[in-house]
Amino acid sequence: MKQQRLWLLFIVAIFGVAFAPLPLGTAVPTSRTVRLEASSFEFSPAVVAVNPGDQVTIELAATDVMHGLYLDGYDLEITAEPGQTAVLTFTADKTGTFRFRCSVTCGALHPFMIGKLKVGPNLLLWRSVALSLLAVLFFISREPLFVNREPLSVVRKPNAEYEIRNTEHGIRNTEHP
Amino acid sequence: MAADWLTHRGVKSAKKSVNLSGEFLARFLLALLVIGTPLWIWAARRGETAVTVHALMPEKGGFLPDTLTAAVGVPLELNLISDDVMHGFAVGQTGWPAVDVKPGQMTEVTLTFAEPGTYTYYCTRWCGPNHWRMRGTIEVTGAEEREAPPASPPLYVELELDIDAPHELDILLKTPPSAARGAELDITLPSEFLSRDVYLTQTPFEVWQALRLASETAALTDEDVWDLVAAAWHSQTTDEQIQRGQTLYNQNCAACHGSGGGGDGVFGQAFDQASDFTDSQTMLGASTAVFDGKIRRGGMGTGMPYWGTIFTDEEIDALIAYLWTFQFPMDNE
Repeated sequence: MKQQRLWLLFIVAIFGVAFAPLPLGTAVPTSRTVRLEASSFEFSPAVVAVNPGDQVTIELAATDVMHGLYLDGYDLEITAEPGQTAVLTFTADKTGTFRFRCSVTCGALHPFMIGKLKVGPNLLLWRSVALSLLAVLFFISREPLFVNREPLSVVRKPNAEYEIRNTEHGIRNTEHP
Repeated sequence: MAADWLTHRGVKSAKKSVNLSGEFLARFLLALLVIGTPLWIWAARRGETAVTVHALMPEKGGFLPDTLTAAVGVPLELNLISDDVMHGFAVGQTGWPAVDVKPGQMTEVTLTFAEPGTYTYYCTRWCGPNHWRMRGTIEVTGAEEREAPPASPPLYVELELDIDAPHELDILLKTPPSAARGAELDITLPSEFLSRDVYLTQTPFEVWQALRLASETAALTDEDVWDLVAAAWHSQTTDEQIQRGQTLYNQNCAACHGSGGGGDGVFGQAFDQASDFTDSQTMLGASTAVFDGKIRRGGMGTGMPYWGTIFTDEEIDALIAYLWTFQFPMDNE
Protein backbone atom coordinates (compact mmCIF):
# COMPACT_ATOMS: atom_id res chain seq x y z
CA MET A 1 0.00 0.00 0.00
CA LYS A 2 2.79 2.32 0.99
CA GLN A 3 4.74 1.25 -2.10
CA GLN A 4 1.75 2.07 -4.33
CA ARG A 5 1.37 5.52 -2.90
CA LEU A 6 5.04 6.15 -3.55
CA TRP A 7 4.61 5.11 -7.19
CA LEU A 8 1.69 7.46 -7.63
CA LEU A 9 3.60 10.30 -6.06
CA PHE A 10 6.50 9.80 -8.42
CA ILE A 11 4.33 9.60 -11.53
CA VAL A 12 2.67 12.88 -10.59
CA ALA A 13 6.10 14.39 -9.93
CA ILE A 14 7.43 13.24 -13.31
CA PHE A 15 4.55 14.82 -15.20
CA GLY A 16 4.85 17.95 -13.13
CA VAL A 17 8.55 18.36 -13.81
CA ALA A 18 8.24 17.57 -17.48
CA PHE A 19 5.18 19.58 -18.47
CA ALA A 20 4.16 22.02 -15.74
CA PRO A 21 4.05 25.59 -17.07
CA LEU A 22 6.44 27.76 -15.13
CA PRO A 23 5.45 31.23 -13.97
CA LEU A 24 8.36 32.83 -15.84
CA GLY A 25 8.45 36.59 -16.15
CA THR A 26 7.52 37.29 -19.75
CA ALA A 27 9.61 40.16 -21.03
CA VAL A 28 8.05 42.53 -23.51
CA PRO A 29 9.54 41.72 -26.94
CA THR A 30 11.96 44.38 -28.11
CA SER A 31 14.26 44.63 -31.07
CA ARG A 32 17.88 43.89 -30.40
CA THR A 33 20.92 44.38 -32.59
CA VAL A 34 23.93 42.17 -32.03
CA ARG A 35 27.21 42.77 -33.79
CA LEU A 36 28.95 39.44 -34.29
CA GLU A 37 32.57 39.61 -35.28
CA ALA A 38 33.69 36.53 -37.13
CA SER A 39 37.39 35.76 -37.23
CA SER A 40 39.31 32.55 -37.79
CA PHE A 41 38.02 30.54 -36.00
CA GLU A 42 35.63 32.11 -33.55
CA PHE A 43 32.56 34.27 -33.21
CA SER A 44 32.72 37.18 -30.84
CA PRO A 45 30.55 37.13 -28.81
CA ALA A 46 30.12 33.38 -29.03
CA VAL A 47 26.98 33.34 -26.88
CA VAL A 48 24.03 35.57 -27.68
CA ALA A 49 21.08 35.66 -25.26
CA VAL A 50 17.70 37.14 -26.22
CA ASN A 51 14.16 36.93 -24.88
CA PRO A 52 11.50 34.91 -26.69
CA GLY A 53 9.64 37.02 -29.23
CA ASP A 54 12.44 39.54 -29.65
CA GLN A 55 13.18 40.93 -33.07
CA VAL A 56 16.85 40.03 -33.43
CA THR A 57 19.16 41.72 -35.91
CA ILE A 58 22.54 40.11 -36.30
CA GLU A 59 25.27 42.14 -37.96
CA LEU A 60 27.90 39.70 -39.08
CA ALA A 61 31.27 41.35 -39.67
CA ALA A 62 34.12 39.27 -41.01
CA THR A 63 37.45 40.51 -39.69
CA ASP A 64 39.88 38.40 -41.68
CA VAL A 65 38.51 36.11 -44.38
CA MET A 66 35.02 35.33 -45.60
CA HIS A 67 32.81 33.75 -42.98
CA GLY A 68 29.18 32.73 -42.73
CA LEU A 69 26.59 32.04 -40.10
CA TYR A 70 24.09 29.22 -40.14
CA LEU A 71 21.59 29.17 -37.29
CA ASP A 72 20.37 25.72 -36.31
CA GLY A 73 16.68 25.34 -35.58
CA TYR A 74 15.78 28.53 -37.39
CA ASP A 75 17.45 27.37 -40.62
CA LEU A 76 18.82 30.82 -41.51
CA GLU A 77 22.07 31.60 -43.25
CA ILE A 78 24.13 34.67 -44.13
CA THR A 79 27.68 35.15 -45.34
CA ALA A 80 29.93 38.13 -44.81
CA GLU A 81 33.13 39.24 -46.46
CA PRO A 82 35.62 41.67 -44.93
CA GLY A 83 34.31 45.17 -45.54
CA GLN A 84 30.80 43.94 -46.30
CA THR A 85 28.81 43.49 -43.12
CA ALA A 86 25.87 41.14 -43.58
CA VAL A 87 22.63 41.72 -41.71
CA LEU A 88 20.13 39.06 -40.68
CA THR A 89 16.82 39.97 -39.03
CA PHE A 90 14.45 37.42 -37.58
CA THR A 91 11.96 36.95 -34.76
CA ALA A 92 13.16 34.67 -31.98
CA ASP A 93 9.92 32.70 -31.82
CA LYS A 94 11.46 29.37 -30.84
CA THR A 95 12.69 29.08 -27.29
CA GLY A 96 15.72 27.08 -26.32
CA THR A 97 19.40 27.17 -27.07
CA PHE A 98 20.51 26.91 -30.67
CA ARG A 99 23.91 26.45 -32.22
CA PHE A 100 25.17 28.73 -34.91
CA ARG A 101 28.16 27.80 -36.98
CA CYS A 102 30.32 29.17 -39.77
CA SER A 103 28.85 28.21 -43.12
CA VAL A 104 31.80 29.06 -45.37
CA THR A 105 34.84 26.82 -45.41
CA CYS A 106 37.27 29.31 -43.92
CA GLY A 107 40.26 27.21 -42.94
CA ALA A 108 41.55 24.17 -41.12
CA LEU A 109 39.58 24.73 -37.92
CA HIS A 110 36.40 25.85 -39.68
CA PRO A 111 34.28 22.99 -38.21
CA PHE A 112 35.03 24.25 -34.72
CA MET A 113 33.83 27.77 -35.38
CA ILE A 114 30.57 27.70 -33.46
CA GLY A 115 28.47 29.78 -31.10
CA LYS A 116 25.17 29.69 -29.24
CA LEU A 117 21.92 31.61 -29.44
CA LYS A 118 19.94 31.43 -26.20
CA VAL A 119 16.28 32.28 -26.55
CA GLY A 120 14.88 32.47 -23.02
CA PRO A 121 15.91 29.97 -20.35
CA ASN A 122 16.87 26.56 -21.64
CA LEU A 123 13.82 24.83 -20.11
CA LEU A 124 14.45 21.58 -21.94
CA LEU A 125 17.83 21.27 -20.27
CA TRP A 126 16.63 22.17 -16.79
CA ARG A 127 13.61 19.87 -17.01
CA SER A 128 15.87 17.01 -18.10
CA VAL A 129 18.22 17.67 -15.20
CA ALA A 130 15.27 17.69 -12.79
CA LEU A 131 13.93 14.45 -14.28
CA SER A 132 17.31 12.78 -13.86
CA LEU A 133 17.44 13.86 -10.22
CA LEU A 134 13.92 12.55 -9.75
CA ALA A 135 14.97 9.19 -11.15
CA VAL A 136 17.86 8.99 -8.72
CA LEU A 137 15.52 9.90 -5.86
CA PHE A 138 13.06 7.26 -6.95
CA PHE A 139 15.58 4.44 -6.90
CA ILE A 140 16.96 5.49 -3.55
CA SER A 141 13.52 5.55 -1.93
CA ARG A 142 12.31 2.29 -3.50
CA GLU A 143 15.24 0.06 -2.60
CA PRO A 144 16.78 1.01 0.71
CA LEU A 145 20.26 0.01 -0.30
CA PHE A 146 22.09 1.25 2.72
CA VAL A 147 19.51 0.82 5.51
CA ASN A 148 19.16 -2.33 7.68
CA ARG A 149 21.15 -4.40 5.34
CA GLU A 150 23.14 -7.37 6.53
CA PRO A 151 26.60 -7.74 5.04
CA LEU A 152 26.45 -10.07 2.08
CA SER A 153 29.18 -12.43 3.27
CA VAL A 154 28.05 -15.26 5.52
CA VAL A 155 29.60 -15.23 8.92
CA ARG A 156 29.93 -18.69 10.32
CA LYS A 157 29.40 -18.90 14.00
CA PRO A 158 31.93 -21.01 15.79
CA ASN A 159 30.77 -24.50 16.82
CA ALA A 160 27.63 -24.22 14.72
CA GLU A 161 26.37 -27.41 13.21
CA TYR A 162 25.48 -27.62 9.58
CA GLU A 163 23.58 -30.26 7.75
CA ILE A 164 23.15 -30.83 4.09
CA ARG A 165 19.70 -32.09 3.35
CA ASN A 166 18.43 -33.40 0.10
CA THR A 167 15.05 -31.83 -0.65
CA GLU A 168 12.84 -32.01 -3.67
CA HIS A 169 14.07 -28.56 -4.78
CA GLY A 170 17.70 -29.50 -4.62
CA ILE A 171 20.47 -29.44 -2.12
CA ARG A 172 20.06 -26.83 0.60
CA ASN A 173 22.18 -25.68 3.45
CA THR A 174 20.26 -25.51 6.64
CA GLU A 175 21.38 -24.29 9.92
CA HIS A 176 20.34 -26.19 13.00
CA PRO A 177 18.94 -24.12 15.76
CA MET B 1 16.01 -13.07 -73.25
CA ALA B 2 15.04 -9.77 -71.77
CA ALA B 3 11.76 -9.76 -73.64
CA ASP B 4 10.93 -13.30 -72.37
CA TRP B 5 11.59 -12.23 -68.84
CA LEU B 6 9.43 -9.14 -69.21
CA THR B 7 6.52 -11.10 -70.64
CA HIS B 8 6.88 -13.65 -67.92
CA ARG B 9 6.76 -10.97 -65.29
CA GLY B 10 3.72 -9.46 -66.98
CA VAL B 11 1.87 -12.77 -66.82
CA LYS B 12 2.63 -13.21 -63.19
CA SER B 13 1.85 -9.72 -61.93
CA ALA B 14 -1.02 -8.46 -64.01
CA LYS B 15 -4.04 -10.54 -64.96
CA LYS B 16 -5.81 -7.99 -67.18
CA SER B 17 -3.03 -6.59 -69.34
CA VAL B 18 -0.52 -9.28 -69.93
CA ASN B 19 1.69 -7.45 -72.35
CA LEU B 20 1.07 -3.86 -71.29
CA SER B 21 3.56 -3.61 -68.43
CA GLY B 22 6.19 -5.33 -70.51
CA GLU B 23 5.66 -2.96 -73.37
CA PHE B 24 5.73 -0.01 -71.06
CA LEU B 25 9.06 -1.12 -69.64
CA ALA B 26 10.48 -1.62 -73.11
CA ARG B 27 9.41 1.87 -74.13
CA PHE B 28 10.87 3.28 -70.98
CA LEU B 29 14.21 1.60 -71.64
CA LEU B 30 14.21 2.86 -75.22
CA ALA B 31 13.51 6.40 -74.01
CA LEU B 32 16.36 6.12 -71.52
CA LEU B 33 18.65 5.00 -74.30
CA VAL B 34 17.61 7.84 -76.60
CA ILE B 35 18.07 10.49 -73.94
CA GLY B 36 21.02 8.93 -72.15
CA THR B 37 23.34 8.27 -75.07
CA PRO B 38 23.81 11.89 -76.17
CA LEU B 39 24.17 12.91 -72.52
CA TRP B 40 26.79 10.24 -72.02
CA ILE B 41 28.71 11.28 -75.13
CA TRP B 42 28.52 14.93 -74.07
CA ALA B 43 29.78 14.12 -70.59
CA ALA B 44 32.61 11.99 -71.93
CA ARG B 45 33.69 14.67 -74.39
CA ARG B 46 33.50 17.33 -71.73
CA GLY B 47 35.84 15.30 -69.58
CA GLU B 48 38.34 15.25 -72.42
CA THR B 49 38.39 18.95 -73.16
CA ALA B 50 37.77 20.52 -69.75
CA VAL B 51 40.73 21.94 -67.86
CA THR B 52 40.77 21.39 -64.12
CA VAL B 53 41.89 24.45 -62.20
CA HIS B 54 42.72 24.00 -58.52
CA ALA B 55 42.25 26.99 -56.25
CA LEU B 56 44.52 27.31 -53.22
CA MET B 57 45.26 30.10 -50.82
CA PRO B 58 47.81 32.45 -52.43
CA GLU B 59 50.50 31.37 -49.95
CA LYS B 60 50.05 27.79 -51.18
CA GLY B 61 50.09 28.58 -54.87
CA GLY B 62 46.90 30.39 -55.81
CA PHE B 63 45.29 29.13 -58.99
CA LEU B 64 46.96 26.03 -60.41
CA PRO B 65 47.45 26.39 -63.34
CA ASP B 66 47.58 30.18 -63.45
CA THR B 67 47.99 30.50 -67.21
CA LEU B 68 45.37 29.21 -69.62
CA THR B 69 45.02 29.46 -73.36
CA ALA B 70 41.90 29.67 -75.47
CA ALA B 71 40.88 30.61 -78.98
CA VAL B 72 38.29 33.16 -79.99
CA GLY B 73 34.84 31.61 -80.33
CA VAL B 74 35.91 28.22 -78.99
CA PRO B 75 34.35 27.43 -75.62
CA LEU B 76 36.91 27.05 -72.85
CA GLU B 77 35.60 24.54 -70.34
CA LEU B 78 36.92 24.79 -66.83
CA ASN B 79 36.41 22.52 -63.85
CA LEU B 80 37.13 24.58 -60.77
CA ILE B 81 37.76 23.05 -57.37
CA SER B 82 39.20 24.41 -54.16
CA ASP B 83 41.89 22.54 -52.28
CA ASP B 84 41.46 24.44 -49.02
CA VAL B 85 38.97 27.20 -48.28
CA MET B 86 36.21 28.85 -50.27
CA HIS B 87 37.43 30.82 -53.27
CA GLY B 88 35.74 32.60 -56.13
CA PHE B 89 36.35 32.88 -59.84
CA ALA B 90 35.69 35.74 -62.23
CA VAL B 91 37.28 37.07 -65.40
CA GLY B 92 38.20 40.74 -65.39
CA GLN B 93 36.63 43.27 -67.78
CA THR B 94 34.06 40.80 -69.07
CA GLY B 95 31.16 41.43 -66.71
CA TRP B 96 30.52 37.69 -66.45
CA PRO B 97 29.07 36.76 -63.09
CA ALA B 98 31.51 35.44 -60.52
CA VAL B 99 31.14 31.86 -59.30
CA ASP B 100 32.11 30.33 -55.98
CA VAL B 101 34.80 27.67 -55.87
CA LYS B 102 34.21 25.38 -52.93
CA PRO B 103 36.27 22.56 -51.51
CA GLY B 104 35.00 19.12 -52.42
CA GLN B 105 32.71 20.42 -55.13
CA MET B 106 33.47 20.81 -58.82
CA THR B 107 32.26 24.08 -60.33
CA GLU B 108 31.90 23.87 -64.08
CA VAL B 109 32.36 27.04 -66.09
CA THR B 110 32.32 27.49 -69.84
CA LEU B 111 33.88 30.66 -71.22
CA THR B 112 33.63 31.81 -74.81
CA PHE B 113 35.71 34.82 -75.75
CA ALA B 114 34.67 37.11 -78.56
CA GLU B 115 37.87 39.16 -78.67
CA PRO B 116 41.47 38.05 -78.59
CA GLY B 117 43.75 39.33 -75.88
CA THR B 118 45.04 38.62 -72.41
CA TYR B 119 42.35 38.25 -69.79
CA THR B 120 42.90 38.15 -66.06
CA TYR B 121 40.94 35.81 -63.86
CA TYR B 122 40.92 36.40 -60.15
CA CYS B 123 39.57 35.17 -56.84
CA THR B 124 36.41 36.97 -55.69
CA ARG B 125 36.13 35.64 -52.14
CA TRP B 126 38.32 36.79 -49.28
CA CYS B 127 40.30 33.60 -48.75
CA GLY B 128 43.23 35.03 -46.78
CA PRO B 129 45.24 38.19 -46.24
CA ASN B 130 46.85 37.84 -49.67
CA HIS B 131 43.57 37.15 -51.39
CA TRP B 132 44.18 39.79 -54.07
CA ARG B 133 47.41 38.12 -55.12
CA MET B 134 45.34 35.20 -56.36
CA ARG B 135 45.14 35.76 -60.08
CA GLY B 136 45.82 34.05 -63.37
CA THR B 137 45.76 34.92 -67.05
CA ILE B 138 43.97 33.51 -70.06
CA GLU B 139 45.72 34.06 -73.37
CA VAL B 140 43.04 34.23 -76.06
CA THR B 141 44.32 33.97 -79.62
CA GLY B 142 42.34 35.21 -82.58
CA ALA B 143 41.22 33.11 -85.51
CA GLU B 144 43.31 35.25 -87.84
CA GLU B 145 46.12 37.52 -86.76
CA ARG B 146 44.63 40.92 -86.49
CA GLU B 147 46.37 44.15 -85.78
CA ALA B 148 45.34 44.89 -82.23
CA PRO B 149 44.04 48.42 -81.82
CA PRO B 150 46.72 50.42 -80.07
CA ALA B 151 45.78 50.66 -76.41
CA SER B 152 45.55 54.25 -75.29
CA PRO B 153 47.82 54.82 -72.33
CA PRO B 154 46.20 55.63 -68.99
CA LEU B 155 45.55 59.28 -68.31
CA TYR B 156 48.35 59.62 -65.78
CA VAL B 157 50.89 58.43 -68.36
CA GLU B 158 49.54 60.83 -70.95
CA LEU B 159 49.75 63.73 -68.50
CA GLU B 160 53.16 62.53 -67.28
CA LEU B 161 51.89 62.64 -63.71
CA ASP B 162 53.94 61.20 -60.89
CA ILE B 163 51.15 59.44 -59.05
CA ASP B 164 53.47 58.52 -56.18
CA ALA B 165 54.33 62.15 -55.42
CA PRO B 166 52.89 63.33 -52.10
CA HIS B 167 49.89 65.56 -52.65
CA GLU B 168 49.14 66.72 -49.16
CA LEU B 169 47.77 70.23 -48.75
CA ASP B 170 48.21 72.60 -45.90
CA ILE B 171 44.54 73.39 -45.58
CA LEU B 172 41.93 72.50 -43.05
CA LEU B 173 38.24 72.62 -43.91
CA LYS B 174 35.84 73.07 -41.01
CA THR B 175 32.88 71.57 -42.84
CA PRO B 176 32.92 69.36 -45.90
CA PRO B 177 32.09 71.27 -49.08
CA SER B 178 28.52 70.76 -50.21
CA ALA B 179 27.35 70.69 -53.79
CA ALA B 180 23.81 71.52 -52.65
CA ARG B 181 24.98 74.70 -50.90
CA GLY B 182 27.09 75.51 -53.94
CA ALA B 183 23.99 75.30 -56.15
CA GLU B 184 22.05 77.52 -53.73
CA LEU B 185 24.63 80.28 -54.17
CA ASP B 186 23.09 80.80 -57.59
CA ILE B 187 26.32 81.71 -59.27
CA THR B 188 26.84 80.67 -62.85
CA LEU B 189 30.25 79.11 -62.93
CA PRO B 190 32.43 80.03 -65.89
CA SER B 191 32.08 77.18 -68.34
CA GLU B 192 35.78 76.31 -68.22
CA PHE B 193 35.30 75.05 -64.65
CA LEU B 194 32.54 72.69 -65.68
CA SER B 195 34.48 70.87 -68.37
CA ARG B 196 35.31 67.20 -68.21
CA ASP B 197 39.01 68.00 -68.60
CA VAL B 198 39.06 70.05 -65.42
CA TYR B 199 37.43 67.22 -63.46
CA LEU B 200 39.89 64.70 -64.86
CA THR B 201 43.15 66.58 -64.69
CA GLN B 202 42.87 69.31 -62.05
CA THR B 203 42.86 68.88 -58.31
CA PRO B 204 39.98 70.43 -56.35
CA PHE B 205 42.47 72.74 -54.71
CA GLU B 206 43.72 74.04 -58.05
CA VAL B 207 40.14 74.69 -59.13
CA TRP B 208 39.42 76.41 -55.84
CA GLN B 209 42.44 78.68 -56.31
CA ALA B 210 41.38 79.56 -59.85
CA LEU B 211 37.80 80.21 -58.73
CA ARG B 212 38.98 82.34 -55.85
CA LEU B 213 40.71 84.62 -58.31
CA ALA B 214 37.71 84.81 -60.64
CA SER B 215 35.69 87.99 -60.52
CA GLU B 216 32.37 86.16 -59.98
CA THR B 217 33.42 84.93 -56.56
CA ALA B 218 34.83 88.16 -55.18
CA ALA B 219 31.93 88.57 -52.75
CA LEU B 220 32.03 84.96 -51.48
CA THR B 221 33.76 83.43 -48.51
CA ASP B 222 36.40 80.72 -48.90
CA GLU B 223 33.88 78.11 -47.75
CA ASP B 224 31.40 79.25 -50.40
CA VAL B 225 34.05 78.79 -53.06
CA TRP B 226 34.64 75.25 -51.82
CA ASP B 227 30.92 74.62 -52.17
CA LEU B 228 31.21 75.81 -55.78
CA VAL B 229 34.05 73.33 -56.34
CA ALA B 230 31.82 70.57 -54.94
CA ALA B 231 29.07 71.63 -57.34
CA ALA B 232 31.52 71.55 -60.26
CA TRP B 233 32.64 68.05 -59.26
CA HIS B 234 29.07 66.91 -58.79
CA SER B 235 28.16 68.07 -62.28
CA GLN B 236 30.60 65.51 -63.72
CA THR B 237 29.12 62.46 -61.99
CA THR B 238 25.71 60.84 -62.10
CA ASP B 239 23.80 59.17 -59.29
CA GLU B 240 23.86 55.84 -61.14
CA GLN B 241 27.62 56.12 -61.43
CA ILE B 242 27.96 56.76 -57.72
CA GLN B 243 25.63 53.85 -56.90
CA ARG B 244 27.67 51.53 -59.06
CA GLY B 245 30.88 52.87 -57.59
CA GLN B 246 29.60 52.23 -54.10
CA THR B 247 28.77 48.62 -54.91
CA LEU B 248 32.22 48.09 -56.42
CA TYR B 249 33.87 49.88 -53.52
CA ASN B 250 32.14 47.71 -50.92
CA GLN B 251 32.99 44.54 -52.78
CA ASN B 252 36.60 45.27 -53.55
CA CYS B 253 37.98 48.18 -51.56
CA ALA B 254 36.17 48.33 -48.21
CA ALA B 255 38.11 45.46 -46.66
CA CYS B 256 41.21 47.66 -46.54
CA HIS B 257 39.96 51.23 -46.95
CA GLY B 258 36.94 50.77 -44.67
CA SER B 259 33.29 50.96 -45.62
CA GLY B 260 33.28 54.60 -44.51
CA GLY B 261 36.40 55.38 -46.54
CA GLY B 262 38.45 56.10 -43.43
CA GLY B 263 41.27 53.70 -44.25
CA ASP B 264 40.21 51.65 -41.25
CA GLY B 265 39.13 48.42 -42.93
CA VAL B 266 39.96 45.13 -41.26
CA PHE B 267 42.97 44.66 -43.53
CA GLY B 268 44.03 48.30 -43.47
CA GLN B 269 46.44 47.61 -40.65
CA ALA B 270 47.63 44.28 -41.99
CA PHE B 271 49.30 46.05 -44.89
CA ASP B 272 50.84 49.47 -44.79
CA GLN B 273 48.27 52.08 -43.92
CA ALA B 274 45.44 52.14 -46.43
CA SER B 275 44.56 55.59 -47.78
CA ASP B 276 41.99 57.58 -45.85
CA PHE B 277 39.51 59.00 -48.37
CA THR B 278 37.88 61.18 -45.72
CA ASP B 279 41.10 63.12 -45.16
CA SER B 280 40.62 66.39 -47.03
CA GLN B 281 44.28 67.32 -46.87
CA THR B 282 45.36 64.46 -49.11
CA MET B 283 42.18 64.14 -51.15
CA LEU B 284 41.76 67.75 -52.26
CA GLY B 285 45.31 67.82 -53.56
CA ALA B 286 44.77 64.85 -55.87
CA SER B 287 43.13 64.80 -59.27
CA THR B 288 40.88 62.21 -60.84
CA ALA B 289 43.81 61.23 -63.05
CA VAL B 290 45.89 60.41 -59.97
CA PHE B 291 43.18 58.14 -58.57
CA ASP B 292 42.70 56.58 -61.97
CA GLY B 293 46.41 55.82 -62.13
CA LYS B 294 46.61 54.46 -58.61
CA ILE B 295 43.65 52.15 -59.14
CA ARG B 296 44.97 50.88 -62.46
CA ARG B 297 48.55 50.40 -61.42
CA GLY B 298 48.21 49.61 -57.72
CA GLY B 299 51.46 49.28 -55.86
CA MET B 300 52.55 52.43 -54.06
CA GLY B 301 54.80 50.11 -52.04
CA THR B 302 51.74 48.91 -50.16
CA GLY B 303 49.45 45.91 -50.34
CA MET B 304 47.33 47.61 -53.01
CA PRO B 305 46.86 45.33 -56.01
CA TYR B 306 46.54 46.60 -59.59
CA TRP B 307 43.03 46.79 -60.98
CA GLY B 308 43.74 47.86 -64.54
CA THR B 309 43.12 44.37 -65.89
CA ILE B 310 40.04 43.73 -63.78
CA PHE B 311 37.89 46.86 -63.88
CA THR B 312 36.62 48.37 -67.09
CA ASP B 313 37.15 52.10 -67.74
CA GLU B 314 33.51 52.75 -66.79
CA GLU B 315 33.92 50.86 -63.53
CA ILE B 316 37.01 52.88 -62.60
CA ASP B 317 35.16 56.12 -63.43
CA ALA B 318 32.27 55.01 -61.23
CA LEU B 319 34.65 54.11 -58.40
CA ILE B 320 36.35 57.51 -58.50
CA ALA B 321 32.94 59.24 -58.64
CA TYR B 322 32.12 57.41 -55.41
CA LEU B 323 35.51 58.26 -53.85
CA TRP B 324 34.82 61.97 -54.36
CA THR B 325 31.61 61.68 -52.34
CA PHE B 326 33.74 61.14 -49.23
CA GLN B 327 34.92 64.75 -49.72
CA PHE B 328 31.84 66.22 -51.34
CA PRO B 329 28.98 64.41 -49.60
CA MET B 330 25.65 64.19 -51.35
CA ASP B 331 23.76 65.96 -48.59
CA ASN B 332 20.85 66.83 -50.83
CA GLU B 333 19.55 63.27 -50.58
